[in-house]
Amino acid sequence: MSNVSSSSFGRGSQIILNVYLVIFFAYMFLPLILMVAAGFNEFDTPSVTTWKGFTWKWFGVLAQDDRMWSGLVNSILIAVGVIIVSMPLGLAGAFLITRLQSRYNGLLYGIMVSPLLTPGIILGISTLIFWREGGVSGGLFTAAVAQATYISSYTMLMFMARLKRQDVTLEEAALDLGASHTQVFRRITMPFLKPTILTAAVIAFLQSFENYNTTIFAIGGSHTLVTEIGSRMRFGLSPAVNVIGIIFVFLTITFATIYVIFREREKKRVSALMG
Amino acid sequence: MRGMDIELKDVSIRFGDFTAVYPTNLKVNAGEFFSILGPSGCGKTTILRMVSGFSNPTSGEILIGGQSMAGIGPDKRPTALIFQSLALFPLMTVRENVAFGLEMRGMARGPRNDKAQELLDLVALGDQGEKIPDELSGGQRQRVAIARALAVEPAVLLLDEPLSALDLKLRQHMRSELRDIQRKTGVTFIYITHDQGEALTMSDRIAVMKAGVIEQVGTTDQVYNEPSTAFAATFVGANNMFKGKITKTSKGEAEIETKYGLLRGTNPQNLSTGSEAILFVRPEKTLVLSGKEKAENTIDVTYERRDLEGAFVNLHFQREDNKFTVHQTNVDLKSFDKGDQCTIGFDARAAMILPDGELADE
Repeated sequence: MSNVSSSSFGRGSQIILNVYLVIFFAYMFLPLILMVAAGFNEFDTPSVTTWKGFTWKWFGVLAQDDRMWSGLVNSILIAVGVIIVSMPLGLAGAFLITRLQSRYNGLLYGIMVSPLLTPGIILGISTLIFWREGGVSGGLFTAAVAQATYISSYTMLMFMARLKRQDVTLEEAALDLGASHTQVFRRITMPFLKPTILTAAVIAFLQSFENYNTTIFAIGGSHTLVTEIGSRMRFGLSPAVNVIGIIFVFLTITFATIYVIFREREKKRVSALMG
Repeated sequence: MRGMDIELKDVSIRFGDFTAVYPTNLKVNAGEFFSILGPSGCGKTTILRMVSGFSNPTSGEILIGGQSMAGIGPDKRPTALIFQSLALFPLMTVRENVAFGLEMRGMARGPRNDKAQELLDLVALGDQGEKIPDELSGGQRQRVAIARALAVEPAVLLLDEPLSALDLKLRQHMRSELRDIQRKTGVTFIYITHDQGEALTMSDRIAVMKAGVIEQVGTTDQVYNEPSTAFAATFVGANNMFKGKITKTSKGEAEIETKYGLLRGTNPQNLSTGSEAILFVRPEKTLVLSGKEKAENTIDVTYERRDLEGAFVNLHFQREDNKFTVHQTNVDLKSFDKGDQCTIGFDARAAMILPDGELADE
């Protein structure tokens, strides 16, 4: 392999490639490393240049922070709500576009993905105003509804990608063998969609969890973890926020590793089956 | 005999401005192996989809077993369709595939698995029930599709070019197997194909279709030996062709004036003197004449080459731009060199004169 690359690229381009990789990884990971390091610094402003010694105390400070905890709970509640709304909406939209061969398909598609192109602030404000007219003031409910408007477009795109790959004759074959439309959906279409249902739910959760600009306008007096962190920016940062970062980096690495191990096993199992 | 008859009464279908099938009348008998033969895009699959209930005719009526199928969906018709892609359910085992139709009818697991096993035995896959379709070979998948369709005990089995994805050997094997299954079960088969060999070897009767119109319906012998149009003649089997104008008719025969002189042939449609016509003669009825052999019609040609197919050989001749083929069995062959001057010929009884018309593409 290395022979091939050194012969097809010259020595000069090999060096350029290596330099590029170093810069790329530094750009990606240096801020993360600094953030992690500052979370263990005794100094009470996030910094690595002013090192006052190693400490775990910011973990303790965070654990005592009730607004952060309630924010986390709110974030999870909203994300669950978003999943409940955006999964069926996205699936329905995807069915409509992939199966209904209408000449308005292009228009329909445009309308359904337009929330992705609309600034998040506008989604948040418009949802708030709409529901306030109906007597519902800003809160977790409006935040979830506002987020779902654009996250439904994401789930729809994912379901569409999957449905487009399905052989429609499978559904026809099931119908021909006497299955009703409900039976076709349950026995043929749903099993086919299963992997996408899982990934779409994960994406919807993450999109919801990290959302700031839609939520901040729709949530009224309440707060999520992300809006809470945002609002504290105004009074200067505390290393406790870095600790949140550290926890997420840790969780990400853990889940990514589990996922890779799981996938490798699945691959081996499939190749053993096929072999 | 559990097959049912199918009748198309003035059935046509249009998609926007495009007429896929012009008003068609067709009767398929109960328990018959019936093929619809035609080039791709001629509307044969559309007919199949109308019979199975996936498309609705723009006009006319389809009857199965004497009952009108108007307003009856594919899940309620006594038909089962075998798709060109087979459409086996990839996430189910072979047994679950075969038992699917029974499951949908609410049959309990025990009886439906017994029935599935019976059908898998019928198609010689008795020990493959636990595999998933992807683990089977093309021919095996083919047989699973047949078993799955037969499991719901259809009166009519509709097959949409199911052999087209298989290699030649397997295709020939599956032909006789399909024929066997059809005889054993007595189900009416409607078989769609663009392969004349398939249609001729398996069918009781054939419909030759072109551009949304059925040109001829007949037994395999009728379609091959007595084609009714220039298209049917050229789509089913090979021909040597001579275009010209009829100069004389007498007692079922006619004489046609061609570039290479006057030729005589049968005149099955009683064409009158002066009509534009084509004389067709099959390569196996065309002879290479040496000194003592004689034929009513003769043409001087130049030898080009031969194609040895094993049991038989096709000899190719040429005159100007026209190519001629003589089909001989591989017994006591004479050999020729390229450029040899030869004479080919045929008797009037062996040739047919049909009205000039569109030919099938080579």
